[in-house]
Amino acid sequence: MEHQPTSFSPSVPLSSSSPKPGQSNFRRISRTEDSSPFPIPGLAADILHMRVKEGSKIRNLLRFATARMQGEGRDSKGASLRQVVFSGSGRGVTKTITCVEILKRKMGGLHQVSKLYYKTVNEVWESPQQGAPGITMERTVPAICILLSKDPLDPQEPGYQPPQTLSPSAEDTERRRGLLRTAQSPSSQQTAKRLCLDDYSVCPP
Amino acid sequence: MMEPRNPGMSTVPQTAAAHTDSSTPAVEMDPVEYTLRKRLPRKLPKRRNDVYVNMKTDFRAQLARCQKLLEGGGHREICVHGLGLAINRAINIALQLQASSQGALQLAANTSTVELVDDLEPEDPDEAGEPMTRTRNNSAIHIKVFYPDPQ
Repeated sequence: MEHQPTSFSPSVPLSSSSPKPGQSNFRRISRTEDSSPFPIPGLAADILHMRVKEGSKIRNLLRFATARMQGEGRDSKGASLRQVVFSGSGRGVTKTITCVEILKRKMGGLHQVSKLYYKTVNEVWESPQQGAPGITMERTVPAICILLSKDPLDPQEPGYQPPQTLSPSAEDTERRRGLLRTAQSPSSQQTAKRLCLDDYSVCPP
Repeated sequence: MMEPRNPGMSTVPQTAAAHTDSSTPAVEMDPVEYTLRKRLPRKLPKRRNDVYVNMKTDFRAQLARCQKLLEGGGHREICVHGLGLAINRAINIALQLQASSQGALQLAANTSTVELVDDLEPEDPDEAGEPMTRTRNNSAIHIKVFYPDPQ
């Protein structure tokens, strides 16, 4: 109970007269995050690591990650990646999970391990008064780290999730949608083509 | 009342079907104004040791409830669930529980997608437009907080 969700533990002693940091007259100079190692054991150092921030666009993250996972850059590296790590903290946690969920649905057959941890962020605040000491403080924010892998992972690891098998209802709707599309598209394409041809036959002369 | 409504109802789906074959159904919303009403998430199974975290209840109250379950309630494990914005709070609660147990508790987090249903109700009942529903997805987290078995 001693530390609250975002605990403020100033490492520089505060004089009693100075206002509390976080007020508007204090300015944040720098914000550094600790580069903690992956909380998931046994990961390669050169693994693809997607750092999801609050303002990251999901489509950008996923475009990059799926391209690497599906091996579109085959000529440079030789093979597509087998594993990817997504991590995010604070308000980026929800986005991280959403990214992972979408990627799992898109690719299928991915094993997952999720880990929760506190991330410490060091902030340096500057006081507006000249001569007054600045403040460095350590904040802890909740964070999540998710490993997705095409290869099987240890099922005994806490936070492991096996690949999701498509539920029959979802599969059915997908198939029905596919059928509908295949049933509709040829005719529409043909009409489109015919229209084009007609246009061409009319226009050139 | 029925006469002016019927032609409208028959034209709207036709025009929508004509040019939104493969595009998103959002285009259908244009002609009539709707009020969007969010339904509550589908009721989930609830055991004695399940805690569904929300953003309305005080954080400390929810944390205290979990602690009570683990310490006083005699449960070896509890499940903390969070949906959408409440994911953060669920994680926070789980991490706080772990920190206050001096490492005795372990966490196992699972993520999932929850399908939510929105109701679209026509703003003006005289205009053409029938109540519709739309589904969307939201992310959820399920954290098992447990004392590992002594082995």
